[in-house]
Formats: sequence, C-alpha cells, structure tokens
Amino acid sequence: MAEYREPSYAEVNRDILRTLLETGPRYWILLGFTSTIAVVCFFVPWMYQLNVGVGASGMNRNAVWGTYLSSFIFWIGLSHSGTLLSAVLHITKSDWRKAIYRSAEAMTLFSLMTAGCFVMVHVGRVWFVHWSVPIPNEMGLWPNFRSPLMFDVMAITAYLTASSIFIYMGSVPDYAAVRDASTGLRRRLYTIFSFGWRGTEREWHTLGWAYTFFAVFVIPLAVSVHSIVSWDFAMSLVPGMHHTIFAPYFVCGAIFSGTAGIVTVMYVLRRFMKLERYIGEIHLDNLGKLLLVLSLIWTYINILELFTGWYSGSSFEYEALKFKLFGYYAPLYWEMILFCAFVPLLMFWKKIRLNWNIMLIISVLINIGMFTERFIIIATSLPRKFLPGSFGFYFPSMVEISITVGSFAIFTTLFLLFIKWTPCVSIYEVKETLQPLRRGAV
Amino acid sequence: MEKNMMALFQYEDDFIAAAKKLKESGFDRMCLMSPIPIPEVQKVTGLGKSPVRRFSLIGAIIGGLSGFALATASALVFILPTGGRAIIAVPPFLVIAYEMTILFGVLATLLGFHIVSGLPAWHDKPYRVETSIDHFSLVLEFGPDDNPSLAEEIMRAAGAEEITEVEKPE
Repeated sequence: MAEYREPSYAEVNRDILRTLLETGPRYWILLGFTSTIAVVCFFVPWMYQLNVGVGASGMNRNAVWGTYLSSFIFWIGLSHSGTLLSAVLHITKSDWRKAIYRSAEAMTLFSLMTAGCFVMVHVGRVWFVHWSVPIPNEMGLWPNFRSPLMFDVMAITAYLTASSIFIYMGSVPDYAAVRDASTGLRRRLYTIFSFGWRGTEREWHTLGWAYTFFAVFVIPLAVSVHSIVSWDFAMSLVPGMHHTIFAPYFVCGAIFSGTAGIVTVMYVLRRFMKLERYIGEIHLDNLGKLLLVLSLIWTYINILELFTGWYSGSSFEYEALKFKLFGYYAPLYWEMILFCAFVPLLMFWKKIRLNWNIMLIISVLINIGMFTERFIIIATSLPRKFLPGSFGFYFPSMVEISITVGSFAIFTTLFLLFIKWTPCVSIYEVKETLQPLRRGAV
Repeated sequence: MEKNMMALFQYEDDFIAAAKKLKESGFDRMCLMSPIPIPEVQKVTGLGKSPVRRFSLIGAIIGGLSGFALATASALVFILPTGGRAIIAVPPFLVIAYEMTILFGVLATLLGFHIVSGLPAWHDKPYRVETSIDHFSLVLEFGPDDNPSLAEEIMRAAGAEEITEVEKPE
C-alpha cells in the first residue's frame, strides 16, 4: 500500500477544483438520467393529480394523510444531520468535520427543498398555498398560529433560510478560489458569488464570528424543526400518534437518518469524484460510531413507545399497538426494527466501520428503515381511529409511489448541480488541517 | 509617496514576522491577505471581538418580539374561537417567537457580516491570485510621513518573495 503523503495547499486547490472545473460525459449522462426521472416520475404524475384531484392518491376519508406526508417527514429528517452536525462539530472545534461538512450541508439544503415539494403535492390545490403564510390574501384569511402545522411553516422556512445562509457563507472563500482558477463567464459569475473576497484579516475575522453565530443559531433551530414536525402528529388525539415521546423520537430518528445519508453521500463523492485523499477512514469511523450511538438511542425510544402504549391501559392505544406489531403492515414494522435496531449493531466492530462497502449498505438499509418508520406512523394510526365502524385502510396509489421515487431523482439532480457549482469539500478548511506553511515546517 | 506597496510571502511565519515588525515601526495601515484564517495575524492588527455579535443579539431580540406580535396580530384580525381557548394563546405563540428569534438572528448576522467586512467589494483592489492558493500578501498604505524604503527593507528582511508598487485606491 502506498504511503500517505499529506497534500500541499496547491494540491488541495487543484484536487478539489478539478471536481468542479472538469466534467466528463458520465456526469452529463447521469444528470440527464436523474432529471428525466424527476420529470417523468415526479412532475408528470403531479400534473395528473392536479388535473384529476387528490383522489389520484390512495388517501381517503379515514387516511387523510399518506405517503406524501411520510416522504415529507423522511426528507425533513434526512436534512437533519448535515447542518446540525456541521454546526455542532464547528462549535466543538472537531477538525474531522472539515472535509465532509460542505456536502453534508448541501444534503440538508436539497432534502429540505425536496420536502418542500411534497408539501406542494400534498396540499392538493397548490395555487392556494400562500394562504398558509401570514400575508394579506384575497380571502382576508390569516393563519391560525395555534396549530402545529403553522409552527411547521415557520420552522421550515427559518431552517431553509438559515441552512442556505450557513452553507453559502462557509463557501465564500472557496468561491474566490474558483474565481481565481477560472476565466470568462465563470470568472465573472464567481466574482459575484464571492462578493469580491480577498482573504484579508478583517474578512476572515468577521466570517469566523458570523459563522460561529450561524452555528449557534442553527443548532436549536434544527432540534426545534423536527420536534415541531412530530407535534403535527403528537398534538392530535389519534391513538398511536398521541405520545409525548414523539419530539425526541423524531429528532433522534432525523439525526440517525441524516447521518446515514451523509455516509452514503461520502461514499459516492469519495468514489466518483476521486476524493479519497480528503475523505478517509477517520470520517467513516467517526460517522460509524455516531450512527451506532444514535441507533441505540432510537431503539431505546422505540421500546419506550411500545411500553407507554401498553402501560397506558387505553384500549385504543392497545389496539393501535397490536395493529402495528401484528397487523397488515407488521412485516414493514419488523423490517424497520431489523434495519434500524439490529443491522447498526454490526458497527460495534471497527473492521465493519472502516469498510466503505459495508458502511454504504448499512447506511442505505438504515434509511430504508427510517422511511418505513414514517410510513408506518401514518398508515397504522390515522385510518384506525377509535370506533371500529369507521376503520379504514391506506395503501399508496401508483401516483404516490411514482412521486416518491421521483423525489429521490429531484434530490440527486440538485446534488449533481451543486457539485458543479460549489466545491464539495471546503478548500480553506482542509488547508487548516494541514501542516502550516512555515519555513521550519515545509 | 504616490503608490502603495504590496509584498508576497511564501511562508506564514515570514508574513507574520513582517506584519509585526511593520507595526512596531509605525506602519499602521496594512492589509494582510492569506489563504486561511490566521489568528496570530488578527492579533497583530488588533482585531478583538467582532461587532457582528451585536447585530446577532439585536436581530434575535427584534425577531422574538416580532414573532409574538405577528402571531398575536394574526389572531386578532382573524378571530377564530376554538373550544373556549384563549385568542391570544401564549404557549403556541412562544413557538412562533422562538422560530422568528432564530430567523431574524441569522439574517441580522448576515447583515452584520456584510457591514463589518465591507463585502461585497467588487471594485479593483490590490490582490494576487496566489493568495487563494498558497501565498500570503501584505498591502501597505503609506501616509505622508511614512518611509517606504524602510518598509521595503523590513519586508525583504522578513523574507518577502516579491515587492511591487500598487495604485492607491481612488
């Protein structure tokens, strides 16, 4: 095995800017493929649904929420680790964050955008969506801020804004590096993107302070976003949803799912963008440990959820629990337990944590399990409220399945566009982890 | 002196030494550019706590107050009695205030960054592209009483690779 040699500053610029400035045919083919899938699987069925109404989905009188909402929660959840983890690691001055945080934050941003698409699809008459924001409208309506759904609107808007600013501001010095390495239109564009950054002591000093404040603001915001999403469910009286444990359960699940998402993205970047020199075993090992801890917390909360349901003594809760564990969707429940509670235990072994291929499989399985979790919460609770006479059943329609598949293509397309717009590894922060350019040291 | 002076350094310690020496010799108006943030350089130029934090605090306070005001005003212009609950319901409105505190805090921090750093600054300023890769540059602005030859001597002694004259900003 070749001995590892630390890259020089110039090599860092060259290696990372190469991912942005050199584009092969494989990239264009992949971009064409994902954007086509996004149009065919997401936008065409959505247009169809807009034409015929939300009856095109499997939602019905009992199941007023379905796969659109599960997907919404899944994407919001996936968004959770990127910015949150980046902010926490920035404040705790963890250097290993520096090579991976940019892509993780991008994942946050694009997951949130994808989640936003589901809100549009779910509401049905999307042209009235502005009624949910506090601006004067033709109906003289004002939002009811006592509703958790309105908390959601405010929290997600704040999170999307803060995450966009957080990733953009962290990228400004790197936009200057792209500007300096390019010519023509690209140079002009990056001059604008970089605000004319020169790397003066005042600019670095101000960015350092501002960035720390962004991080400080983002941490409680991220925690509040998924707590609020959980209240959409927990504040209803529906058996199986009305649990006080839901906020920590959702936040933990979101970070769990998001961290698994980061592992997947890191694998892809490392392999296909040839960034092995920057994304290494330390990242995989640390993310693996984090996933393991999150998996144990998630499992504990799941056990608590079952216990409190059983211990409540409420026949409605008991019935909801029985349906979840042994009813029609029980195979999905046990699949979730297998993927999110048992498979992650493999990461107790360091050999597993350091194996990129196995970690990729584990991270994908975790996210399959987490998607299932969100589906089960809705499909096993909402159609079976209180009176058995009004029990219904929910099964997603082809339109819903197609739109869900299409959402993955939207996310991938956005991410592919991102890696050609912004250096996917932070150039200046990677340099900070290297030996300083000192006369004695070089 | 009609022009300013710009020196390019290959090594960080030379660059810091030059900045310190210039400062000691009374050259105050200098601009230090580097590919990464260097805390030592910020000490040399006397940058302490950034005023950005004031923007963050004020933004957050305004956000919190306006969040609560927004929820209250919405409830009052569109009265929606539900189950005898209060029209101005403090606990849920605090959630809105919390989110708006953070949103405004972030936006004010962004504004603070732009005001304090002086960015965007798209007009021409002395700059070398090597600074975004692996070099350090120092731009010195001279006053009428400054001695440019002394400054040049200090920078050369510290290890400057290249010293050039640059135009004074308009």
